[in-house]
Amino acid sequence: MPMVIDKSQRWRLLAAHAFLIVLCIVVMFPFLVVLSVSFRPGNFASGSLIPETISFEHWRYAFGLPYQAANGQLVEPDLPVLRWLWNSVKVATMSAMITLLLSTTGAYALARMKFKGRNHVLTGLMLMQMFPAVLALVAIYAIFDRLGSVFPPLGIDSHWALLLAYSGGIAMHVWTIKGYYETIPYEVEEAAKVDGASPWQAFRLVLLPMALPILVVVFMLSFIGVVIEYPVASILLNQQENLTLAVGTKLFVAEHNFKWGDFAATAILSGLPITVVFVLAQKWMIAGLTAGGTKG
Amino acid sequence: MSRIDFQLVNKRYAPGLPLTIKQADLTIDHGEFCVFVGPSGCGKSTLLRMVAGLEDITDGDLKIEGRRMNDLPPSQRGVAMVFQSYALYPHMTVGQNMAFGLKIAKVDKASADKKVREAAEILQLSHLLDRLPKALSGGQRQRVAIGRAIVQQPKVFLFDEPLSNLDAALRVQTRLEIAKLHHDIGSASMIYVTHDQVEAMTLADKIVLLHAGKLIDERGSVAQYGTPMDLYHRPASLFVAEFIGSPKMNLLSGSLVHAEAQHADIDVIGIRVRAAVDARRLPPGSPVRVGVRPEHAPVADTGEGAGLPVIVTHVERLGDVSLLYVTAEGAAKGPLTVRMEGSARPDPGTRLTVRLRPHDLHVFSSEGVACPRTVDLPV
Repeated sequence: MPMVIDKSQRWRLLAAHAFLIVLCIVVMFPFLVVLSVSFRPGNFASGSLIPETISFEHWRYAFGLPYQAANGQLVEPDLPVLRWLWNSVKVATMSAMITLLLSTTGAYALARMKFKGRNHVLTGLMLMQMFPAVLALVAIYAIFDRLGSVFPPLGIDSHWALLLAYSGGIAMHVWTIKGYYETIPYEVEEAAKVDGASPWQAFRLVLLPMALPILVVVFMLSFIGVVIEYPVASILLNQQENLTLAVGTKLFVAEHNFKWGDFAATAILSGLPITVVFVLAQKWMIAGLTAGGTKG
Repeated sequence: MSRIDFQLVNKRYAPGLPLTIKQADLTIDHGEFCVFVGPSGCGKSTLLRMVAGLEDITDGDLKIEGRRMNDLPPSQRGVAMVFQSYALYPHMTVGQNMAFGLKIAKVDKASADKKVREAAEILQLSHLLDRLPKALSGGQRQRVAIGRAIVQQPKVFLFDEPLSNLDAALRVQTRLEIAKLHHDIGSASMIYVTHDQVEAMTLADKIVLLHAGKLIDERGSVAQYGTPMDLYHRPASLFVAEFIGSPKMNLLSGSLVHAEAQHADIDVIGIRVRAAVDARRLPPGSPVRVGVRPEHAPVADTGEGAGLPVIVTHVERLGDVSLLYVTAEGAAKGPLTVRMEGSARPDPGTRLTVRLRPHDLHVFSSEGVACPRTVDLPV
């Protein structure tokens, strides 16, 4: 280490490491418990962290494969877990794309264009986002119920309805992207305009590529948000084959029948798309994309 | 003909704010290199951005080739601009940066490539075409920005302080390149904004010196518009005289004694000074300011012109010349600057005589308006 360090610093370093290790354990523990439950035969929430016998029955269940139950019977899985996973991935991907489309353009207007009431719009967006969507559940249900009677594709039990409901929650993303746009020098877009670009071309060909890292972050956040979203999805979706994974897993823990093992396997499965998206997205979350365009 | 006309152009950024540009009335001729210069806050960049279409015009007309441009977007004006901060597209290579405008205009790839290569050749960027801007030095980046303008083959080139981010050596070199570019392209007009009067004097066919602060409101934005030699030798006002030239022109207060067609006699700190100006429009006895540039005030005990006794307070030696800061005996106003050839270093406190030769003197009325000089001066 190039810097000279005080002796007391070493103890502080040690203490900091100890604290962080404990913190890691605390954070990891619930995940390990879920992992353990998913490999444990039977549906028991408690037991030792490392299972004595490893059973794949819950995982087979999750993947829709028949498995042998404790009494030796071959059981066909009764819930379409993979279908739910697919629903989640589908809705999350589309919703993240819609969110990107709406929030990049909206943020552009708020960051770059001068119009009356701009600040009011910004504050308004922020305020509206402060009320959790749960408070509006009744309204959301009523709206889509009514919509469905006029235009069935947007009614209850339609993924389009869910997408429409989610696309309203972009205020935070608009703020995030607007903040990033404002760090990008305006002159670069001006240069594009003098080069002959229309405002749309300046936005699409110059600003958006420079904003790539924040777009990836927003895509990920909204993807994760949809995968784990429960309240809105739970009232808009009824039929078993339409459910998202987050809503579907609730069926495992019905009142008199706690299928903790299946629940655990499904829960871990729901982390899968998020992990995949994160790994893919990491490549684009690079700093210094705007370096070199302007002085200093 | 890429003539640019400003017709009584005004600019106000928002209602209630003072005018940033007031009654700018200029003509920049076909193929002319025009430099906008002025102290900070004079609106020179604003004026340039109005030509580009990046700022709207509050009043008046802007015409390029006789066509009114006020309401046309930047893309339809046939201009290309080089920004102070380069403003390159950081996610594109040098080649893509230069070809961007052509791509937008849907020029076919082969001829776009050819144009980019030609421009890169002129600017010695050929070996850098595949690099990203962040892998370039400051000077190279600025050349890419210039290249991006060249490939557009615009009617008008706009430069917004293009050299101010470069170090001194690179600045001189790039300045020469821009002068050469202007010579080579010939047909396009260029407007160049700078606060550096050396750039203005060396590059310009015409200089537009702009007022700053309350002078904008009192006298309009344009302080003087003319060739570099005009502004140096025939400043129209005190503002121009003080802005052009480095070190600044020395000014002495006096009062007019007698004016004739070819010369005027003025009392300066009790000394009778003759200046080769036509001050007949001023009544005798009126207060005037007499100006003399440091390089036109020789130190000599005898010779032409009135002798002004001074005391040396400080000396700066630059090698080829020395700058003497002196105070005139009996004058309350701050120090005067005198330029001496060679590396003389008179001690502080030394008494010297500065000669005020009639053909070197400028005379300004109390409102700051210059009296016409009556000697032959370079154009």
